[in-house]
Amino acid sequence: MYDLVIIGGGPGGVAAGIYGARKKMKTALVAGDFGGQSKVSAEIQNWVGVKAISGFAWAKTLEDHLRAQEGLDIFQPDLATKVEKSGEGFAVSLQGGKKLETRTVLVATGSSRKKLDIPGEKEFDGKGVAYCATCDAPIFKDKITAVIGGGNAGLEAVLDLLNYSKKVYLLEYSDRLTGDAATQEKIKASPKAEVILQAEAKEIFGDKFVTGLKYQDVPSGNIKELKLDGVFVEVGSYPNSGFVKGLVKLNDCGEIIVDHKTQTTSLRGIWAAGDVSDVLYKQNNVSAGDAIKAVLNIYDFLK
Amino acid sequence: MMNSVKIYSTPTCVYCKMAKDFFQKHNVKYEEFNVAEDEKARAEMVQKSQQLGVPVIDIDGKIIVGFSESELKKALDIK
Repeated sequence: MYDLVIIGGGPGGVAAGIYGARKKMKTALVAGDFGGQSKVSAEIQNWVGVKAISGFAWAKTLEDHLRAQEGLDIFQPDLATKVEKSGEGFAVSLQGGKKLETRTVLVATGSSRKKLDIPGEKEFDGKGVAYCATCDAPIFKDKITAVIGGGNAGLEAVLDLLNYSKKVYLLEYSDRLTGDAATQEKIKASPKAEVILQAEAKEIFGDKFVTGLKYQDVPSGNIKELKLDGVFVEVGSYPNSGFVKGLVKLNDCGEIIVDHKTQTTSLRGIWAAGDVSDVLYKQNNVSAGDAIKAVLNIYDFLK
Repeated sequence: MMNSVKIYSTPTCVYCKMAKDFFQKHNVKYEEFNVAEDEKARAEMVQKSQQLGVPVIDIDGKIIVGFSESELKKALDIK
């Protein structure tokens, strides 16, 4: 019987693991991988104490720090598939087949990238449809590309692509871009970039590879076509809360509702922190801090 | 027998780096092609894999797209 099972290997889960072990709580941590979504970041410049580090190297520092803790059981790579009430505590089922009995649970499973969910997206995945401009932009040298999504990730994908593509469209569903003003300026200054607002992507088509994209001009309802070779999808993310749906209260976005003072959820014995929770600011440093708050509160709860 | 391992990568691709770290950890010799610079390698990669994404890994002619530790272990017969 564990005191605490932490689910997630991002900055929140790892920070919680370190604090749980140092508090001498009988702690287990379940993670598919370490580092969370920032693992694929080219460079992280805002992790406190480190001026700049690649996402990959950063994830390794988290893993090393975690593995240096004594008395911590790490189940990795593995995933939690279900959390259910069991006696006084909970049972956490793992994909690998194990079932962990525990008095408390901290959910720190973060969020995953949203897909467009339109015809052609799946069919042409890797054949022109891409989700990592940092990785794949050079392959679209001298080609025509589009980025879907006008948030920060979308704007940065456009900048990556402008280094290689001969033309980059940026399609945004609403009537304005939401990403950083400074990045918007850079894009608007490029003769190769074209921003299309109030555009809803409808279909990606091609033969062996992508050859075009259909979108709807929202105000008029007209369907338009762009001839292009690559579509980069940057339409935000969704919280990884499916495995606790029905157990704890979620908001309309699927985020776990927490008390922001203690990180407790609607169900006694379960805490949540980081991007899976309804925290306003989705940041590595915030996730780590919130997860630590949760562990300290769990420690008080178990006393 | 030594495997012939080629990796088609870009300098900014984290999954490529993960794959190369995996090779180094398991003492697998590999040849790297930077498709951001090398146009011939880029065309070869697309032709071999029918994919427009990195990394593409060629192990004795078997093509693996993306980084998957379990697939690489299987292809290289690493326990």
